Amino acid sequence: MGLDETGPGTAKTGGDSVQVRSLGGREVHFDSEGFLVDASQWSEEMTEQLAREMGISSLRETHWRVIRFIREYYLENGRAPLHRELKKGVGMTLMEIEDLFPGGIKMGARLLAGLPNPKSCGM
Amino acid sequence: MEKMPEMIYLDNAATTFPKPREVLQRMIDLYAAKGVSPGRGAYDCAQEADELVYGVRKRLCLFFGGDDPDRVIFASNATDALNLVIQGAVKPGGHVVSSQLEHNSVLRPLQHLRESGRIDYDLIPFDGQGFVDPDDVSRAIRPQTQLVVLTHASNVLGTIQPIEEIGAVCRRHGVPLILDAAQSAGVVPIDISTWGVSALAFTGHKSLLGPTGIGGLVLRRDFDIQSTRFGGTGIDSQDLFHTQTYPHRLEAGTLNILGIIGLSAALDYLAAQGMEAILQKERALARKLWEGLAELKRVKLYGGAFWDRRVGVVLSNIEDMLPADVGAILDGDFNIATRVGLHCAPLVHRSLGTGRAGGVRFSVGPFNTPEEIDRACEAMEKIARIRRT
Repeated sequence: MGLDETGPGTAKTGGDSVQVRSLGGREVHFDSEGFLVDASQWSEEMTEQLAREMGISSLRETHWRVIRFIREYYLENGRAPLHRELKKGVGMTLMEIEDLFPGGIKMGARLLAGLPNPKSCGM
Repeated sequence: MEKMPEMIYLDNAATTFPKPREVLQRMIDLYAAKGVSPGRGAYDCAQEADELVYGVRKRLCLFFGGDDPDRVIFASNATDALNLVIQGAVKPGGHVVSSQLEHNSVLRPLQHLRESGRIDYDLIPFDGQGFVDPDDVSRAIRPQTQLVVLTHASNVLGTIQPIEEIGAVCRRHGVPLILDAAQSAGVVPIDISTWGVSALAFTGHKSLLGPTGIGGLVLRRDFDIQSTRFGGTGIDSQDLFHTQTYPHRLEAGTLNILGIIGLSAALDYLAAQGMEAILQKERALARKLWEGLAELKRVKLYGGAFWDRRVGVVLSNIEDMLPADVGAILDGDFNIATRVGLHCAPLVHRSLGTGRAGGVRFSVGPFNTPEEIDRACEAMEKIARIRRT
């Protein structure tokens, strides 16, 4: 999958630093932690590229099961799944999900699913 | 998938949970019987409700070592009470001394006052164990200093600050000391008159074991603050100026009588159980947790293990794991509730080197058990095995 990428640029929106990257021929906006600013900009191709940058050479079926569940749940409910909903939905423990993604649950699974950065300082 | 065990609640520093059944039942019963607007109506029940409220002011005054029940002011919580006292006490051109241990309930009002050009402030550091030095308070006081505002027990580290010594420093300099007792009220004995504290802010829903939505301020007789909220007080209604006698000077609108009843019932509960017994129980549980976590590889603990100067709070992290993920796993896989992140105290975390992601805070309460602490340690041991190299 050949996603072209130009170097990251930065812009300021509402006090948060926004990184602008060209992925797959279009501009995509990320916040300072690497989360999508606009969840609708998510694509599978982009996710493969971001996963490689995280150290996952190729996303397997188990990765996609987690990513798709989180993303579909978010699109349907407007929020991330509760912990117990995530476990039930993917049939894995949270420890297994944590282990599956080098960045863990938040900076791995949630980020790759294209959900916005949670504002709560606790998540 | 195996059945999840009962939730282990270790987030008592955020709010104690569950509340004692006796407190909840008393709230229902008394509110059903006396839940009218206190002191506002020309009927006996309103008078009785007013007497109930005054009775709780008297009890709180005694509980905290105040010197005038009329100077027990009800507010929504400790943050509300701190806003009331900070904004009502400072004058333009003034200076405030506080610390890097503070919660945003102190930091944000101070920052707001600085940004609006009314005051300046300095924050003294804390040492590697989590304590502020009274000498640092003395050195930070300037001729313009109008207040010293300090937390009694850190909501991040659990360390109890040497308030009596700091009170002596403040008395020597003639500067009022404001105490944020959000994490100590109800579990650590407090005597503001002896300690030289001019005002104390408390909340009802933490160690006092009352409901959310009620807290307050206890002011000493020699410390006046200006009204910063205005409205109906039930007296002097002909006057467009807000009543200036206490407690009305600092209260406006109908009181939270349900919350006040809850506070009263909670004080009864604490008296029956014995605050010292609760403190010792919580310290023993926190110490057990600390010692269990200290044995685990990759687990880091923060602050000094001085159990005679701590409340039941333990801050931890697992090397190379986000606290948010650790908290999610504790909840999702082990049904253990903790608080992760910055705990609304960003400068504490900055000082600890955890300013970006924070930590995992375990905070025990009177209903936790040694078995629950064992389960928390076992859970952390399993989590710390993830990605172990």
